[in-house]
Amino acid sequence: MHVAAAPQKVLTVSRKSERLVNLTIALLATKRYLTKSEIFRTVEGYEGSAESMERMFERDKDDLRGLGIVIELGTFDPLFEDEAGYRITPASYQLAIGELDGTDIALLSIAATSWSGAALERESTSALVKLESMGIESNSEALSLLAPRVSTRDENFVLITDAIVRRATIAFEYVSSDLSLQQRTIYPFSLRGQSGIWYLRGLDSEKNSLRTFRLDRISSAVKVSKKSGAFEIPNNFPENSENVPDSARVALIRVRKNRGRALRSIGRPVVVGEEWDELEIPILNTSWLLGTVLWHRNDVVVLEPSDFRSLVIESLREVVELHG
Amino acid sequence: MVKVPSTPLEQTARMLDLVPFLLTHQGIALNDLADHFKVDTEIMLDDLNTLWMCGLPGYTPLELIDLNFDSGFVSIRNAAPLAYIRTMSSSEIVALVLGLDLLLDDSVQISPENRKRIEVLSKKLRREIGTNVEISLSSPAPFRSVIESAIASRKSVEMTYFSPTSDQSTERIVSPYHFFQEGEYEYFEAFCDTSHGMRTFRVDRIVSAAICDLVKSVSDAGHTEGASIRIQARIQSPDRHTAETFGLSYSSLEDGQSIEISAFSQEWLSRAIIAGGGTVSAQSPLDIREKIRLTAEDALALYE
Repeated sequence: MHVAAAPQKVLTVSRKSERLVNLTIALLATKRYLTKSEIFRTVEGYEGSAESMERMFERDKDDLRGLGIVIELGTFDPLFEDEAGYRITPASYQLAIGELDGTDIALLSIAATSWSGAALERESTSALVKLESMGIESNSEALSLLAPRVSTRDENFVLITDAIVRRATIAFEYVSSDLSLQQRTIYPFSLRGQSGIWYLRGLDSEKNSLRTFRLDRISSAVKVSKKSGAFEIPNNFPENSENVPDSARVALIRVRKNRGRALRSIGRPVVVGEEWDELEIPILNTSWLLGTVLWHRNDVVVLEPSDFRSLVIESLREVVELHG
Repeated sequence: MVKVPSTPLEQTARMLDLVPFLLTHQGIALNDLADHFKVDTEIMLDDLNTLWMCGLPGYTPLELIDLNFDSGFVSIRNAAPLAYIRTMSSSEIVALVLGLDLLLDDSVQISPENRKRIEVLSKKLRREIGTNVEISLSSPAPFRSVIESAIASRKSVEMTYFSPTSDQSTERIVSPYHFFQEGEYEYFEAFCDTSHGMRTFRVDRIVSAAICDLVKSVSDAGHTEGASIRIQARIQSPDRHTAETFGLSYSSLEDGQSIEISAFSQEWLSRAIIAGGGTVSAQSPLDIREKIRLTAEDALALYE
């Protein structure tokens, strides 16, 4: 410890982070592998019995790996039975993003600001710091772009993106359509944002089928397995298996002229009349289609199939009865 | 500004990133530095004090990182081993890549040359997090930027707006005021020339929009917002769809429970209840209850 005039008030000196930084410096600066005993002897912060230093070092290695730092294990000369040592190579430690100019920096900075106040704010802040550290003057005046904003605050968002990248299994509680809570265990494959809603797709490992989940319907904190590389993400994965059984069915629906935009956008007109048109609409999701038909009240009539037609009639009767 | 004390790991990460940042920002004011890292100045001081005791084994003044920050301006020397900018974590890359996705949206006015740049940057970054990873974002509102620039330049917008409530698209000229977020959706408030009053529009329901050059004065328009209506309703059979439609929390729904529903439009309310197909019933006021019954009977008549 050096003794120098320290006019600054020391709030709390974090021994742990100090030791981790010292370890990183030592392992980065060394040209050859540093053995454990060399580390314990020279790196500031390793104290106590041999076992406790050993435990400390194991935890520190895990922590640095958690920060994405690659610690190499090797021996100086493989021909001699040297004790194995550690080092961090600058090549693996260092950001290698290639040549960037001021405009690239400006574009990436704008991209990062879209997370302000949202789920990945912390990550985008540290990414921005790294970009700014390159010392390239950002050409932001040339680009007077207004960044669209992401509004997701969902804490699970960060956990799921991390799980996808690490190929780690996740488990969570999901609100099903009857409001019961289901326990799900999933290999997460993709995460897509659309119209303000995030959709997670993945393989349900128990049922062995592809499923889609809405992030806002996940009712627990997502548990991410520590084990990375638990699965492979397939090159092309097909549409949801849950939609397949119904996909062959088509409803024939009569829609009043200039009405039923939601249905017209997914249907195919088969008859075009004076007051009504007839559309063929695939039944991919019965409850969605039922709700949409009912929403359009007397502007829509279901002709076929008869079981779906009966379902509509029954629902309307139910509404009449409840309001009688 | 982050007020919560950081974990040792977060502090370690920040300290490692501080060194290369300071090397290209010598003499930066302490406050600015804290702003860049989005932490409190107290936390930044703590980081600097800790970093100041780090260095190469030996830890004599020759090996220690030399930081100077007593003047309120921060400079650094003797930091060679930590001068490297650290590689990005996958979450950092995801944050940038999704941000870039948003910039690629049609609504963002961007030159073809910069669009090309974004694609190249995005590809480069995506390679870092591995193949087959699909984390993407499409902008919820393609016409947001039109509204945004109309607000900035105080111009009017000619737009086609779809209203699911009336199941119709209408052409309107509006003078937008401001955006606001409610739940998952973004709205804007505008003076609507067509209906001569202040109206609220959902950004994602704009079918098309373009700036028109008339500048409208909205100062004397006043608020004529549609009166919010409230009804008493009963949950007949609780399900997820009902909770989401009426903005109720999943866990609070029970069979036979009485709830209050408020909405801007009676028509929306009536349609939403009928679309529930008997999962929710309106109790009072009686005229609304009656109207819902008549509307459902009307639709039912088409099947007889």
